[in-house]
Amino acid sequence: MVRTADVFRKKSGIDVRTEHQAEHIDLSEGLVSGHTREGKRFELPFDRLLIATGADPIVPARPGFDLPGVMVVKTLDDAQAIKERITSHPVKRALILGMGYIAMEMAEALRERGIEVAMAKPRARLLPWLPEELAQRVGEELAAHQVALHTVFSVDHIEERGNHLAAVSASGDRLEADLVVVAIGVTPNSRLARDAGLALGPADAIAVDRQMRTSDDRIYAAGDCADAFHVVTGERVWIPLALRANRAGWAVADHLCGREVSLQGVVGSAVFKVFDLEVARTGLTAAEASEAGFDAATVTIKASSKAHSMPGASPILVHMVGDRRSGRLLGAQMVGREGAAHRINTAAVALHAAMTVAQFSESDLAYAPPFGPTWDPLLVGANQLIKAMK
Amino acid sequence: MKFVVIGGDAAGMSAASRAKRNDSGLAVTVLERSTTVSYSA
Ligand SMILES: Cc1cc2nc3c(=O)[nH]c(=O)nc-3n(C[C@H](O)[C@H](O)[C@H](O)COP(=O)(O)OP(=O)(O)OC[C@H]3O[C@@H](n4cnc5c(N)ncnc54)[C@H](O)[C@@H]3O)c2cc1C
Repeated sequence: MVRTADVFRKKSGIDVRTEHQAEHIDLSEGLVSGHTREGKRFELPFDRLLIATGADPIVPARPGFDLPGVMVVKTLDDAQAIKERITSHPVKRALILGMGYIAMEMAEALRERGIEVAMAKPRARLLPWLPEELAQRVGEELAAHQVALHTVFSVDHIEERGNHLAAVSASGDRLEADLVVVAIGVTPNSRLARDAGLALGPADAIAVDRQMRTSDDRIYAAGDCADAFHVVTGERVWIPLALRANRAGWAVADHLCGREVSLQGVVGSAVFKVFDLEVARTGLTAAEASEAGFDAATVTIKASSKAHSMPGASPILVHMVGDRRSGRLLGAQMVGREGAAHRINTAAVALHAAMTVAQFSESDLAYAPPFGPTWDPLLVGANQLIKAMK
Repeated sequence: MKFVVIGGDAAGMSAASRAKRNDSGLAVTVLERSTTVSYSA
């Protein structure tokens, strides 16, 4: 839901100043300054400051990325601009740079409008954080919807010829399109904090404690511009997602008002839909687990989304990761037509509770034929993982 | 107390709204570079 600045001003009594870009934080004076869109300079004193500047889409500083028809997708305005481009120009073919979840959601949206879609990325693996078998299932889903995947394609520059665009690789390979969507990732908008000398964490996100305080305790940071503690590893991570942003915002408000706050952190739960497929993850992948020093054991199982007697049942692929030394559950990833997205939350809560795989396997999970087999796919996975951990 | 928020989206507006609900006497200002603020909580 989008509420206008006016509603906030009148109903909530919040002084919302749109078209005000903050450019400098003066820590010694307790001032934030910047310019309005009209070019007027402003300066504002604060007792407490929250930096909630989010993340910006990464756009390579290569020739042609500033051409009209080369677009990013981050804000509502961006989405609107893409829509307008499609209606005002004949767009037969689109090229999406990047193959992350935002890129895939774009692919689906463009295919729904009957536009031919190709996707390109520099590295070889589709969704490298997913186990091979699960990533392959996603690749098949994209192929089934006529999305062309060009892996190991590194764009050197983008050219314009007449009304057409072409992304050109260093070796001269070309991918032609009428619209190029750049969705190669985001980067934390932490420049204000860095310039003010505040400590940064992973990926240059602003480092915050469990009360969302930065290295200066008058300054908070929250959301995509800030880092978080990972509940499984205890390490700082940068996982820019919406629930954390909202929750961190609440934490700031409560701490500011003298309430006790200590956020546990994130486990990296994420879901997205790609055409008719749900893709979900929580916790660590096998590679992340090994990197964090765990002795990772993994299983991949195939279960059914409904009891076998039910019509319309479809397979769910479940991958689970456990630690041989402690017996702890470390993570789970799932792919399926139905029943994957929300099921991941069961594993997410188990991670917050630091359950062992054996404890998790004893959970009393709900069963009825339309919703799954008697043994929930996660329980089947856990039972197998116990064996793999021995 | 003057509470200033830079960025009027998920994190910023969550904080601003809740701070105001917690303590209506707080002076809360949100600086947002774009033309809109949004809130989805
Ligand atoms: C296409 C898309 C799909 C997504 N889907 C999901 C999803 O399904 N699930 C999920 O969990 N997350 C999703 N996300 C991520 C989610 O949108 C972010 O995690 C969330 O918006 C972060 O909120 P935020 O307030 O920290 O930052 P942002 O939403 O980035 O807001 C930051 C605000 O600060 C303003 N700002 C920045 N710098 C300044 C400055 N110097 N002065 C003034 N104002 C400034 C910006 O204009 C912006 O309004 C998606 C993101 C995109 C782009």
